[in-house]
Order: sequence, then structure tokens, then C-alpha cells
Amino acid sequence: MITAGIDVGSLTTEAVLLQDREILAYSIVKTGSRARLAAEQAFEEVLEKAKIKFSDVSFVVATGYGRMGVPFASRQVTEITCHGRGAAFLSPRVRTVIDIGGQDSKVIRLDEQGNVVDFLMNDKCAAGTGRFLEVMAQALELPVTALGEAEREARRAAEISSMCTVFAESEVVSLIAQGVPRAEIIRGLHRAVAARTTALVSRLGLVPEVMMTGGVAKNPGVVSALSEKLGVEIFVPPEPQIVGALGAALLAR
Amino acid sequence: MAVMEFRKFLRDLFEGEHRKRILSSPLTYQLVERALKLARGSFPSQASYMMARFALAQTGRAFSRRVPVVWTSAFFPVEIVWGLNLCPFSPEVAAAFLASLGFAEEALDRAEQAGYSRDLCSFHRLIAGAALLGYLPPPAALVASTHLCDGAPLLFQNLAAFFRVPFHVLDVPYRADRDAEAYVAEQLAELWRALADLAERKPEPAGLAEAIQNSNRFRANLLEVNELRCRVPAPVRGSEMLNYLYLFFAGQGSREAAEVFACLAREIGRGEREGKKEERFRILWLHLKPFYKGELMDFIENKSGAVLAFEEMSHVYWPPLSPGDPFPSLARKVLSHFCYKPLEARTATVKMLAEKYRVDGIVHFSHWGCRQSVGGSLMLKDALQRAGWPVLLLDGDCLDARNEATGGILTRVQAFLEILAERKNFRVGERHDHCRN
Ligand code: SF4
Repeated sequence: MITAGIDVGSLTTEAVLLQDREILAYSIVKTGSRARLAAEQAFEEVLEKAKIKFSDVSFVVATGYGRMGVPFASRQVTEITCHGRGAAFLSPRVRTVIDIGGQDSKVIRLDEQGNVVDFLMNDKCAAGTGRFLEVMAQALELPVTALGEAEREARRAAEISSMCTVFAESEVVSLIAQGVPRAEIIRGLHRAVAARTTALVSRLGLVPEVMMTGGVAKNPGVVSALSEKLGVEIFVPPEPQIVGALGAALLAR
Repeated sequence: MAVMEFRKFLRDLFEGEHRKRILSSPLTYQLVERALKLARGSFPSQASYMMARFALAQTGRAFSRRVPVVWTSAFFPVEIVWGLNLCPFSPEVAAAFLASLGFAEEALDRAEQAGYSRDLCSFHRLIAGAALLGYLPPPAALVASTHLCDGAPLLFQNLAAFFRVPFHVLDVPYRADRDAEAYVAEQLAELWRALADLAERKPEPAGLAEAIQNSNRFRANLLEVNELRCRVPAPVRGSEMLNYLYLFFAGQGSREAAEVFACLAREIGRGEREGKKEERFRILWLHLKPFYKGELMDFIENKSGAVLAFEEMSHVYWPPLSPGDPFPSLARKVLSHFCYKPLEARTATVKMLAEKYRVDGIVHFSHWGCRQSVGGSLMLKDALQRAGWPVLLLDGDCLDARNEATGGILTRVQAFLEILAERKNFRVGERHDHCRN
């Protein structure tokens, strides 16, 4: 049986095809302004990659903030349950999932069976999310995907005192003007994201093992800053962005 | 006229530039009472109709200026005011009412302009703004209790200065021993005499004894309702009970408030209240709910398959009052609130209610700025989870819709219901429309 999961996030939309608990293919597209189009595009792409037709797919589950706008999904499940399910599938020993997406961050607690037992979600403020890093990357005139690499040369971290995206941006601009090396500014930003995330994790309680998912997990600078701050090792799956869609595909029955 | 239409009627009536004049005219309430009678058949029950009628009549009375109006804070023992036949007015309930009609923003903005911080509880901000806008009946005095809600005495003191009327505070110690009881009782006796002066007459013990008896009837009838609510499926939804806020905050001591719950008990007893056909999840609800028209309560009770089986507010925590010994018994009532004790008391009460009403999970509606309910919520959650209950701390606001991101709050509730679904071995993430009934 082939099932599909579609995760319509605020910045990107992912689709995963699953057959007998094996990932057949996945796709990642930009969400843009219309969730429905993004879902269709991601789905078409993943079908094409796996060289199968829509009719070969038995069930589709949609997740993510745009989950209600996926007309071809048979059910909708929240991203919290899906991330939990996807993470437990990838590593059954995971008890804490930290998901930092485009516009929100979540911490999810799993039990031994991989069921979600508790969660916290910050969606009130862009601080500490992918969007925060994107704005800072713009100020630094770098693509957001280059931040992790660009941090490597840093010998210390610049002090970023504000977590508000708007104020932090002007802080970054003035640090650049003061001649602070870019790498140090980036390390400072990564530490700021880690501090913010640590506060959320601490509220829920840290139980190892820890997995990080979502687009921001692709930034090794954030992962190591967070790992240092939490004092635990953080496991990042090979493609952290598709964990929600994977969970949705697992739930599609 | 359906209930929704009745609300629309009120909204249309109060809409526009003459809001202040219309809201503060006693004639308005006569008109509204007539409209209410026309809408009678379409209220979900006789009890909810009675409650609306009572609250509107009292609001009309408050604006009539024929009787001194006493503003009382949410947890003040209002029996004292009923016992003097004065008109109690609960500004917290008025705030909820204005928000339910969609008029919160104007008053909240007005309060902010006057310097009330956005960090304050929106009940208090809305009250301040509505008072400044002239939407509330002018008080002859304000009384606030220091227990539970620590913002109320400060706000009331401010408003007393604004209205140039006396302000009385009931200082409630944070311990429930004999000394505390005597101290509170003494203040209550003094307050009773001070409020009697407003009406320029001698306070009558018989009047107070009658209010105490009414309050005991209220208690007994509510207890009966609560027992009947153990039935599965739940005969009364929590969102309806939370609409009886007026009775809890301003009605205890009146004949009418007791009658509303007697009527509700009869309705349930006669089987006139049918539960939901499909009750997938039973929830125990802590603290209040959003009163503005939003999607949250509609989603939970009409679309998700969940039902608020019981809510903290309706719990009868106090012993019966003694008509012959009114002040010490009212003092005991005030001092026995389970939230005005070390957190273990609230935890134990919540656990007891969760078991009694056989709920699947507990939701704490964490109202922005409410220190008394939100303050210990993380520890409360921890203790309840250790006892095996799934708990959701749902951040929101009862009145200020600007403090709520609808998508986020619904996702949290859905994710919580998915946790409950997994525990009950239901398929996770159904389409929700089939649950409507
Ligand atoms: S919500 Fe809390 S702070 Fe606000 S009025 Fe009620 S008890 Fe007071």
C-alpha cells in the first residue's frame, strides 16, 4: 500500500510517499501565497519522482498550518502529532522533538511507544524561528542556507541582546557598521536562537534522546549552539524538513 | 427570534455613535426585556432564558438610579449587597457581555489611552475603558476583595477616585484559621453597616438572613445540577455553564439565581437536556473561556467531538452558610476557596473533579494577565500529568481577541485531542464535520 503525507508549512511544503514503511520519494517546494497550489505542486512532484500515478496512492494525510486547504487529503492531522510520529519512526529512542519551522517552533514529548504525550508551541513571535534567521541573513547579504557554513570561521560570538526580529535586525546592521566580523555576528545569532529554544524546551522538561526537525535543523551552527546550551547531543535526521510529512504518510491508513 | 438573532438585536441596538446614551438608559432595558420575551422559545432552555432575563433586569435597575448601585469584584461575597436590597453590579460580567457583543476593542483602546498597561487582565482593562466611556452604571460605592484576584482592589480604588465614591476593601488573609475567620467576619459586618448608609437606612438582619437562605438555595441547587452532570453523555455543556457567570459573580444571595439552577436541575432531571450523540472526549475545563465570538468554543463543542463535561467554576467548594451567624459563615465561604490556598488544594480539587466527571483530559484556559489562575499552572499541569491526566495549558484571552491567534489555538486543541484519541485507540485526525449534532 502506498500512502502520502503532505505538510503545508508557512514557508515550505513537503510531500512524502511511503510504501511498506519505506520512503519512496519526497519533495520540498515553496509554499508561496496559496497553500492549495503548493500542496498540489509538491504532490505532483513526488508522484513524478516515484513514477507513480495519483490512483496508486491509497491514502493522503495533510498536516501543517495549511492542512485544511488540501482537497485531495482524506484526513488532516496536526503537525504536532505528525512530527512526533515521523521522529519516532526515524529513531524510536527519541523522547524530545524540537521542531523549528519557518514561523513557529515546537517541542514535543514522546513516550516509549512513540506517542505524543505533551507539547509546547511558540507561534506568537518570529523570534527564534526560520523567519528570524532569514531576516538576519538578508541583513548580512547571505542566503539563509549559507549561515551555518559562514559561522565556522568565528572565534567568538557577537552579543545580540534583542530577540525581537525587527530590533535584532538593526542590531546586526550596526554590528556590521562597527566592523564586527560576519562570522561572529552569525554565531551570536545562532546562540540567540538556541537560548530562545532552550527556554521552550525547559518549560516542557528535557528528556533525552533529542531530535531536531524542521528547516532550521539544517543549520549546523544552530544545532551545535543548542546542543551546547542544552548539554545533550542532538540527533538530526538526514532530511529534517520532511519529518512532518513522513509522520502524515505513516498515519495515512 | 433565535438566540443568535437576539444577540444581533442587542448588537444593532447598541451599535453606533449613541451607544453611551442607549446603554445607560433604563428604557433600553424595558425594550430589551420585551424583545427577550419574544425570543423566549428559542433560548436553548428555560434556565438560560431566566438567567438572561434576570441579568438584564438587574442591569436596567442599575441604570435606573432609583437604588444605590454597588460594584462588587468577582469573588466578593455579594450576599451582603442583596441582604441590603441594594443593586449589585459585577463589572467583570459587564465586560464579558460587552465583549460578547463585539464591543471590547473600543473600551480596551480607551483604557490603554488612559494609561492601563496591555499586560493587565483584559477584564480590568475593559472595565476601566467602559467606565471612562460612560457605558457602565455609576456606582454609589465599590467593594473588592483581596483574595484570588489581586488586580481588582487596585482597579476599583482607581475607579472610586474617578467616580468620587467610597471604596471598601475586604482584606482576606492567606490562611484559613480562626483568627482569619474572625478578621474577615468583622470586616464584613462593618461593610454591611457602611453599605447600609448608602441607602440611608438601618441595616436589617432579617434581610441579610434572607439573602443567606437564598445563597444556600443557590448552593443546594447547584450541587444538584452538578450531581446530575455526572451522567454520560453530559447533559449540560461547560460552555453554557460558563455563560452563567452573572449568577456566580453577582447572583448569590438573590432568589432568582437560586431559581435558575433549580430550573436547570429540573430540566436535566426530566431528561429535557440531551447530551451529544457522539461524545468522543470528555474535558474538564479550568478557569474561564473566551466570551467574544471566536472559533475556539464552537470548534471544541460543536465540531471536534469533545464536550466540556465540567468546569472548575461550577464546583461548590464552600460549606452551607448559617442565616443566624451570617458574617462568620460568609467569612468561611471566602476563606475556603481552593484556589486561595497552596497549590496542592487546587490540584486535589481538579483531580477529584476529573475522576468524578470521568474526563479524558484537562484544559486550563490560561487567560492573559490573570496571575491567580495562570501563576501556578505549570506546577498544576506537572502534578496532574504525574497522576496520569493529559493536560493542555491553552494560552488565550477571555475578552481581547487581539491576544489570540485563531490558527494556533485551534492547532493546540486539535493536537491535544489527538493525544486523547491515541490514548483511546481512536483513529487520529478525523475529518471533524461528522461530529456535528
Ligand atoms: S481573569 Fe483573573 S485577573 Fe482577571 S478579573 Fe478574573 S481573577 Fe481577576
